[in-house]
Amino acid sequence: MASKEFRERIKKALGNASLRGALERFADSYVVAREQVYAGRDFQALRERIAAIKADAANRYGELADEFARAVEARGGKVFRAQDPASAREYIYQVAREHGVTDVVKSKSFASEEIHLNEYLEERGIHPHETDLAEWILQLMPGERPSHMVMPAIHLPKEEVARVFSRYLGEPVKPDIAQMVRIARRELRKKFLSAGMGISGANIAVAETGTIVICTNEGNARLTTTVPPVHVAIVGYEKLVPRMQDVVPILEALPRSGTAQPATSYVTMITGPVPAWLGDREGPKELHVVLLDNGRTAMAADPIFKEALQCIRCASCTNVCPVFQLVSGQVYGYIYSGGIGSILTSFFNSLEDAADPQSLCLGCRRCAEVCPANINIPDLILKLREKVVAKQGLPATYRIVLHGVVAKPKLMHGLLRTAARLQGPVTHGQPFIRHLPLFFSPLAHGRSLPAIARQPLRDRAKQLERPVENPRLRAAFYSGCVIDFAYPEIGEAVYQVLGREGVEVVFPQGQACCGAPATYSGDRETAVKLAKINIAALEAAQAEVVVTACPTCAVALKEDFPKLLAGNLAWEKRAQALAAKVKDFTQLVSELTAQAGRILSAPAAAGGPTPASPAACREPIRVTYHDSCHFKRHLGLDQVARQVLRDQPGVELVEMKESDRCCGFGGSYSIKYPEISLPILERKLKNIMDSGAQVVATDCPGCVLQLRGGLDQRHSPLQVKHTAEILAARLGANPKDRT
Amino acid sequence: MTDQELVPGFTDLAETMGAQVISVSGPEAVAAKLVEVLRPLGSKVALTACSLIRETGLEAALTQAGFLVEKDGAEFARQADIGIVEADYGIAETGTLVTDATDLKRRLASMLPLTCAVLLPAERIRANLAEVVEAYLASGPWPGYLALVTGPSRTADIERSLTIGVHGPERLLIILVGSDDCGGQ
Ligand code: SF4
Ligand code: SF4
Repeated sequence: MASKEFRERIKKALGNASLRGALERFADSYVVAREQVYAGRDFQALRERIAAIKADAANRYGELADEFARAVEARGGKVFRAQDPASAREYIYQVAREHGVTDVVKSKSFASEEIHLNEYLEERGIHPHETDLAEWILQLMPGERPSHMVMPAIHLPKEEVARVFSRYLGEPVKPDIAQMVRIARRELRKKFLSAGMGISGANIAVAETGTIVICTNEGNARLTTTVPPVHVAIVGYEKLVPRMQDVVPILEALPRSGTAQPATSYVTMITGPVPAWLGDREGPKELHVVLLDNGRTAMAADPIFKEALQCIRCASCTNVCPVFQLVSGQVYGYIYSGGIGSILTSFFNSLEDAADPQSLCLGCRRCAEVCPANINIPDLILKLREKVVAKQGLPATYRIVLHGVVAKPKLMHGLLRTAARLQGPVTHGQPFIRHLPLFFSPLAHGRSLPAIARQPLRDRAKQLERPVENPRLRAAFYSGCVIDFAYPEIGEAVYQVLGREGVEVVFPQGQACCGAPATYSGDRETAVKLAKINIAALEAAQAEVVVTACPTCAVALKEDFPKLLAGNLAWEKRAQALAAKVKDFTQLVSELTAQAGRILSAPAAAGGPTPASPAACREPIRVTYHDSCHFKRHLGLDQVARQVLRDQPGVELVEMKESDRCCGFGGSYSIKYPEISLPILERKLKNIMDSGAQVVATDCPGCVLQLRGGLDQRHSPLQVKHTAEILAARLGANPKDRT
Repeated sequence: MTDQELVPGFTDLAETMGAQVISVSGPEAVAAKLVEVLRPLGSKVALTACSLIRETGLEAALTQAGFLVEKDGAEFARQADIGIVEADYGIAETGTLVTDATDLKRRLASMLPLTCAVLLPAERIRANLAEVVEAYLASGPWPGYLALVTGPSRTADIERSLTIGVHGPERLLIILVGSDDCGGQ
């Protein structure tokens, strides 16, 4: 469970209108600008190249560090390898002391923040001056946290900056941005010209030549590394790349992904000491490179988490993250924010420090789509979550629910049946049910919850299963809990449509929860247990395909089961065999109709039910499509579903704004962080309502639950339908009035 | 990008990124043009000793036109209004200037004054960064201080409002020398 202090921080951030406004406006324009700046480029190829370069480097930091150090030393520079923050700080302090330095100019460096250098120097009488404008502003505001990795002061309105400057100068400053930038130039120029030492970070370090590469738009790094007679560069091992040509793809991606610019204004490549003004004459500058480990080599040795070392710190993952947009870097805390930040924090700080930040991820996968280093951030966060759970244990409620109920299908199904009988017209408030992660929490305001179906799909299945003469296919239906117990009508629609297509559908009664609530809570033990139960149940059905209408279940069956059982020879094989059979419902429909060379609603082979009232069923409707995160980003079926819908006579498909933005459900996330889930839902609902559609279609029952609940609370006449329901209704075989 | 596209491509991108590109027909035309464009921008000029700058007779022309020309000293470029340097390469893909700025004065002249004028021979424009990196790798030890400059100094740190001229120059003039296809306007 998130700590109290953490929840307080969330509350504060959510209540900060200027922070939210600024982040939202930025994120909106960023998405468009990023697309434009990458137009005509092969982004996939670019990021694979970067990932390959950085992954290769991570495999041999030791060797590259040696090569780098040799090259720097051959030019007359010094390289110090710092195991931990303390030794890095001490080394830098000693260099400053030797030179009698009183003032230091700094260009932005995460590594220096990581080792808390400013505080350390300040305590020893040496004054560090941040020269990046935003960093300087924050430095003048003790206690203020940066809100973003690339734009740390994005949350501050100009009036606030003017107040800070007024206080600093002791004279009134108008909130005029151009004027304030001029003031910063004037004030910091004094620092540049008088400082005895410049401290920088690095974006890239090239082993071959001993070069450090620094990117800034303001030009402060150039002055930092040119004017003072001593330069110290703090460089994390993960900045190392082998060859000079390796900088090319990184410099192509960094400004484009970071700020949607084709190039950073200044890219400075420093190789060895260069001439500087030494007070009375020109002579070689003193150059020190501090190579910082602080958990990096341990991370590189970790077969899973080393992937995160590919990060080039562009922050695009946070720019597109719906959670980050609401809470900002101020909530994540520590130096590196966002999803990737929680992973880095777990190594650079500690697992404990990463526990709260990682829990903010709702698994929408938007970040993975844009990461120029091709890092699978959400999957790494899940792995991290598992580690946190292994160390700290599951929160008590989760343990009871997951181990005590979800892992025991018979018990869970029994409880749900009882709850269905007991529930009144309103469904919330049942003690057991309340804690079932997927279904039922105290009513989260802003969203109604569905009633538990009086008869779950599993009990109706027998009536639905009809013998099909010469079936084209025999399919086992894996419904998942939401369809089974909340929306059995979606399951019925699946039967209708597939039956019509000549598919014989069976419902394996042994199926249980897919384990997603356990997987996404970091409870591997329960997930493994459920994987085995389901594999056995679905094998027994002896079907050619296993069809699901829930993308979260599909991902569990196709991807998670084989991973969960990897290493267990017999089970791994069985998991893979099952994975190969799994097919999403809409995808299957699309394939079957393509095979038959016709669209779904044209008259099918003899034997199908005749539409009762074709006219009524084919009234034109305007449909907008909501992309479920798993359906689009894991299964990649977003266009398939749209095509299937477009093929329906009378269906007019209109696109909503941001159709692929998460609805905020995220399984138990909406229960754990309702305060974050709700504003995400609100934005989605607004986009839906603005689309002018009568119906919103989606392929995920979880999204159906979230969207129906939200629209219901807003008394909207808009209907939310699973694609299966739309297809069934178009068939004229509405499940409600089936024969 | 074909050779014919390099100059217009570079010009286009450099201007998009906020630089001002001024084409002159050849080295002999540089001095007069610079005197003309620099006149309203100040009087004190920090001049670096680059071959093209020498060749164009710039120092004499500037002095004659009444500019105060600074070439050396402890205070070099600190109080200057304008710094004049020469670039090694231009990158058409991004409108970037690339200079081996190991020489201290080259760096100071391009960093400290509010206006920076950069001379770039048009035939030194390359399609992309990879070609430029290759060229330096092929020409001996890697330079001590390689500067890639794209447009003027900029920030968007306050309310994301783009503001030009923070720590570096707020005006970047690129004098493209000897590109006859662009004319010498
Ligand atoms: S998966 Fe979604 S919620 Fe999680 S970090 Fe990525 S963008 Fe944010
Ligand atoms: S994880 Fe990827 S997207 Fe995020 S900062 Fe790193 S490189 Fe950029």
